[in-house]
Amino acid sequence: MEEDKSLDVFLKAIEELDISYEMAPNPQETSIFTGAATEPLDFKTFYKDIPCQEACPAKTNVPAYIEAIAKGDPEKAYLINQEDNVFSGVLGRVCSRPCEDACRHNWTGTEGPVHICHLKRSASDYKENPPQPLPGWFEDTGKKVAVIGGGPAGLTAARELQRYGHSVTIYERDSILGGMMVQGIPIFRLPRDTVKAEVDAIIDSGIDVKYNTSVDAQMMQGIINEYDSVLVAVGSVRPSNLKLPGLPGDGHTISGLKFMYDYNMGKIGDMKGKNVIIVGGGFTAVDCGRSCARAAKRLVGEEGSVTIMYRRTEAQMSADPDEINQMRLEEIEVETLMNPLSARTENGKLVGVTFQRNTLDDEQSEGGKPRIHAIEGTDEEYPCNLLIMAIGQSRELNILPDGVSQTEGHHTTHDRVYMAGDFNYGSLDVITAVNDGKEVAEKIDTQLMGEKRRSSHIGITFLNTNGETGRVRDHDIQFPVAMPKLTLFERDGTSEVELGHSPDGTQLHATRCYWCHYKFEINQDACIHCDWCIGVAPRDCINRVSQLFYDEDGAVTSNLEANLANETTYIWIDSNECVRCGKCLRICPTSAITMRKMEKCDCNSSELEEKQKDNVPYGVVQYEKY
Amino acid sequence: MQWTLGKKFVSEDEIIKETGLFLDYDEIARKGAMTAEEKNISKWYGIYTSRQPGNHMARIVVPGGVLTSSQARRIARISEDYAQGKLAITTRQCIQLHWLKAPSLSDMMRGLAEDSLSTFHGCGDVTRNVASCPLAETCKYKRFNVLPYAKDTARVLTEARDLDNLPRKFKITFSGCGAGCAQPYINCIGVVAVARRGADSKIENGFKVVIGGGMGWAPFIGKELFSFVPPSKIVQINRAIAILFRDHGDRRDRTLARLKFVVFRKGIEECRRIVLENLTNEGVSTNGIETEDFEDIGPEYPDRPLLEENPIGTDGRTTVRAMIPKGELTNITFKRMAELSEIYGNKRVYLTNRQNIEIHMVKPEKVEALTQEIEKLGFATSGFFGLRDIVPCVGTTYCPKAVTETRSLYDLLMPIVTQEKYKGIWNKALINITGCPNSCSPYRIADVGFRGMRIRENIGSTEAYEIRVGGEHNRLAKKLGEYKKEDCPLVLEKVLDTFLEIRQGNETLADCVDRLGM
Repeated sequence: MEEDKSLDVFLKAIEELDISYEMAPNPQETSIFTGAATEPLDFKTFYKDIPCQEACPAKTNVPAYIEAIAKGDPEKAYLINQEDNVFSGVLGRVCSRPCEDACRHNWTGTEGPVHICHLKRSASDYKENPPQPLPGWFEDTGKKVAVIGGGPAGLTAARELQRYGHSVTIYERDSILGGMMVQGIPIFRLPRDTVKAEVDAIIDSGIDVKYNTSVDAQMMQGIINEYDSVLVAVGSVRPSNLKLPGLPGDGHTISGLKFMYDYNMGKIGDMKGKNVIIVGGGFTAVDCGRSCARAAKRLVGEEGSVTIMYRRTEAQMSADPDEINQMRLEEIEVETLMNPLSARTENGKLVGVTFQRNTLDDEQSEGGKPRIHAIEGTDEEYPCNLLIMAIGQSRELNILPDGVSQTEGHHTTHDRVYMAGDFNYGSLDVITAVNDGKEVAEKIDTQLMGEKRRSSHIGITFLNTNGETGRVRDHDIQFPVAMPKLTLFERDGTSEVELGHSPDGTQLHATRCYWCHYKFEINQDACIHCDWCIGVAPRDCINRVSQLFYDEDGAVTSNLEANLANETTYIWIDSNECVRCGKCLRICPTSAITMRKMEKCDCNSSELEEKQKDNVPYGVVQYEKY
Repeated sequence: MQWTLGKKFVSEDEIIKETGLFLDYDEIARKGAMTAEEKNISKWYGIYTSRQPGNHMARIVVPGGVLTSSQARRIARISEDYAQGKLAITTRQCIQLHWLKAPSLSDMMRGLAEDSLSTFHGCGDVTRNVASCPLAETCKYKRFNVLPYAKDTARVLTEARDLDNLPRKFKITFSGCGAGCAQPYINCIGVVAVARRGADSKIENGFKVVIGGGMGWAPFIGKELFSFVPPSKIVQINRAIAILFRDHGDRRDRTLARLKFVVFRKGIEECRRIVLENLTNEGVSTNGIETEDFEDIGPEYPDRPLLEENPIGTDGRTTVRAMIPKGELTNITFKRMAELSEIYGNKRVYLTNRQNIEIHMVKPEKVEALTQEIEKLGFATSGFFGLRDIVPCVGTTYCPKAVTETRSLYDLLMPIVTQEKYKGIWNKALINITGCPNSCSPYRIADVGFRGMRIRENIGSTEAYEIRVGGEHNRLAKKLGEYKKEDCPLVLEKVLDTFLEIRQGNETLADCVDRLGM
C-alpha cells in the first residue's frame, strides 16, 4: 500500500513545537515475540509462569499434556509424558508430585491443586495403543555404553543413550527390570503390567539386557575396559539399621526394603494376629504399613495391630494427606513423635518395644525439618512381634573398583564412569531418578562425541484467538472430584486400590488446570491506561504499577504498585496471579494485550539454528482483534 | 457472583442476562443500593452507575430528540428534585441526569412517566434511542419528513419483547437527505430518505438502508444494505435487521458483539440474504426492496446543511439554536428553553447530536427577540456545526469508563478556536473530544478528533490525547499523533494555522486532508 502523506504538512508544522516525551522503557518478558527463544530471560519467564513444570524434576510439559487430555487426545498426552518422564503410567500413580505443591490453584483457589499426577495416569489408561519405543535422534555412533542397574535412573539413561545413537547394555541383578518400581512400591499401588509395558518400550528400542547379573568391583573393572562409558545406577539398597538394646536375632526385625521386596514377590507368609511396628515416616514406612495390614488381613480391624512410629509429625511425613487418611481408614495406627528406646523378648521372641515421646523444637534441622528432642519420663512399651525398620537406606559404594570414587554430580574420579539415580545422591523418588538418568545421558553423550548435541529452547507462538484457550471461567471453579478407590472390603493386597478417574472426572480435572503455558502480556506502547482490564480481571492479576524492578537478565523481580492514575507508569499483568481467562485481552480497546503460547522444546542443536531463523522480535506483529 | 457452572462460551454478562431482565426499583429503594448483577440489568431501565460510588446516571429516551415543552419542564423538575438541578444532552439526542441515588430511582421513573417519558431501554443490549436529523420536519433539503418513521421504529422495537436481549446495544438513526447530519454511516442502521423518478414519472419516496457502521474502539463505516425500500416497510426492515443481529451477534465477547462485526464477518451480501429471509419469515413481502443504484432527485443539499444560521424551513418559519457548552445545563435554563419554545416556537424542544437545543417554527419577525432571550441565558446563538461547537463526552467527570477529563480539554481548546484569526474557518471544521475509545463523542468522524489516553513518563503517567484529523460523517479521520494534554492546544493551533494557509476555495478541513491524500 502506498504511504499516506496527507498529514505530512500538518506534522511538519507540529515539528516546530519540538514535542518529545521521555518514557520509561517498554518492558518485555521474553527476548523475542515469537520463535525459538534461548535467553536466560526466556527460561526465567517460562518457569515463573509455569510453576508445575519448574517443580517437576524431569521438567515435564505439564500444561501441554493436560491441554491434550482436555481436548480429547490422551495419545498425545501420553507421548508428551513418555518423552519427558519416561514412566508416565508408573508416575501417574506413584509420583511424589512436587508439581501439585507448586500448582497455581493452591494460591488462586481453595479446592486444592489440579490432580496433575492422576491426569498422567488417565492419559496412560485411556490411550489406545501400548507404549512404543521413541524415535532416535542421531545415527549410530558406534560407541558402546554399559548401564549397571535396571531401575528408573538406569532405564531412563539407557533409553536416552540409545536415542543418542550409542549401543547400550544393561546389567541387572534381578530377573526383572524396574528396580524399586517392582521391588519397592507395593503391588496394590502400582500394577506390574504397567511397569512392564513401559520398560518394554525402552528395551524394544534395541537395548541389550543381561539379567541375573550381579556386578561387583572386579567385574566392574572388566566392564570399564570393554565399554566406552559406564553408568552405575544401582540405587541405594543398603538399609540403615538401628541397634536397639534387647533386640533378638533374625526373624523379629526386617528392613523396610526387604519387607517390601518379599511382599511384592509374594514371599510374605501369613501375618494374622501379629503386632507389627514400623519405624520411620518415609514412603517405605507407609508402603510397609499398608502392605502389612493387607498381609495380616486386618484392614477391617481383626486381632493384631499395625503401627507406624514416626519421630516427627504427620506434616513432616513424605506421604500426602490423602495417603495418611487412607492408612487411618485401613486401621493402621500412625503414632507420631515416637523414638524407639529398647526391645523386650520373652522366650526368645520379641514381645514389645519401648518408645519415648519427642517434642518439636522451633528451630529447624539441616534438612529443613524441625528439630526434635525427647521428653524424659514418657517411656512406654508397645506390643510388637515384628519390627520393621524403614528409616532410610544408603549406597553400596563398594561396587566401584578400587580407586574410583564420586567427585561431583554424576562424575567419578574415572573419566568414563558415571553415577546416576539414588546411587548418585542417595534415596529419593522415581521422578528425580528419571531426571538424573536424562541428565547423565546427556553428559555421557557430550563426553563421547566431544560436543553438546541437544539443546533446549522456549518455543513461543502468537495466537490470534481473542484470548480464548478453550477454557471458560466456569472451568476454574469446578469442584474437583476425588480419585475413585476400592472399598475397604475389596482391598485384597494385590488389586490396585486407586481406580483411576472416569472419563468425566479426567475431563473435569484437565479443564480445571489454568493451562499456564498461555501468556498474556501488555504492550505498554499501545496501552492507554483505560484500566478496563483491571475492571474485568477476576483476580489481583492486573495492577497499576509505578515502577518495575529487573534482575540482571531483564526479568521483572518485583514492582511498586500505584494507587493514582498519575503515579501509574504501567498497567502490569502479574503472571503469578493470572488465571488465563483472557478477559483482559477481550476488553482491551487498543489491542495492546496479546496472548502467546510458550512451550519448552528440546531438539538437536543443528535444528535449533534453523528454527531461530523464523524468530520474530517485538513490535513486528501488528494485529487487530477482529 | 453466584456461579451456575454452565461451562458455556458466553460472556459473564450473557449469563447475568439469562437470569432475567427485570428489576423492582421500589425494592432497590428499600434496600438502598443495587447488587452487581442488578446494576448490570439496571441498564435495561436506562440506569448506569457513575464514577462516583453510590451515584447513578439515568438516560431519558427521546426518539428523534423531540420533547414537548411539557416534557422538557418535567425533566427540569425531575432534575431539580433528584439530580442536583443538572442535566446533559447526549450525542444521540437523549437527556442524561447524574447524581441520582438508588432510593430515588423509582420515584424519578414515576415522575417521568407522568409526561410519557421513560428511561426504559436508555441503555442495555437493546435498540437504543432512535435518532434523526434535528431538522427532520422542516429542513428545506429533506426528501420527506422522517420523524414519524423514526418514532414508529422506536415504538415497535422497544415494545418487541423478543428483542430485549440483543448481543449488544443497537443504534438506529434517520436522515432526511444524504448530507449525513444524523450520522447514518456510524450507526448500526442508518436510514436515509431518498427520492427517485417513479415509473409513472411521479416522485417516489423511499429509504436507503445502511448497516454495520459504528465508532467505539473499532470504527466501521456502514455499508449499503438496500438502495431503495418503500417507506411503509422501513419499520419491519429495521426489525428484520435487529433479528439478524440478535441471532448472529457474538455472545462470547461483548467487545466484538456489535452489528458492525456481524457485517464485517458475514459480509453485506450474506446479511442482506438473512434480512430478506427474516422479512419473509415475518410475513412481510420483499417486493420493492431494491439494491440497484438510481438517481436521487430531491433538493440539492450542501455538505454541511447545519452550518446555515437560523435556517428558514419549508414551512416558512425559522429555527433558532442555542449552543449549550459541553451539552450541560441546569434545570432553570432548561425550563426557560421550554418556556421560550412555548412563547416563540412550536412548543417543542429539539435536542441535537451536537448536544445543542433548537427551537423550531419561529416566526421570522420573532427571531431577534428569541435570540436575545437565549443569549440572556448565556448561550450563543451562532457558530453551530463549526469550530466553536466542540462536543466533549462527559469524561472522568462522571463516566467510570473514561480515561481523561474531557471537559478540561474543552476549556483549553475553546480560547484557541475562538481566536479572530480563525474566523474564516470557523465553519470549516468540527472538533469532537472523547475520553476513551468508546467514542461517545465520535472523534473519528470529526475534522479534528481527540481521544483520551495516558502517556507514561519515567515514573507515572499523564493525561494525553490521540489526535485524528480529516474525518467526515462517512469517512474516518487519520491519526496525527499522541500528545500530552498541555500540548494539545498548541498542536491544534498548528493544525488550524496550516489549514488556514493551505486551504483551497471553500473546502473543509476534512476535504483538505482528503485532497492532500489524493
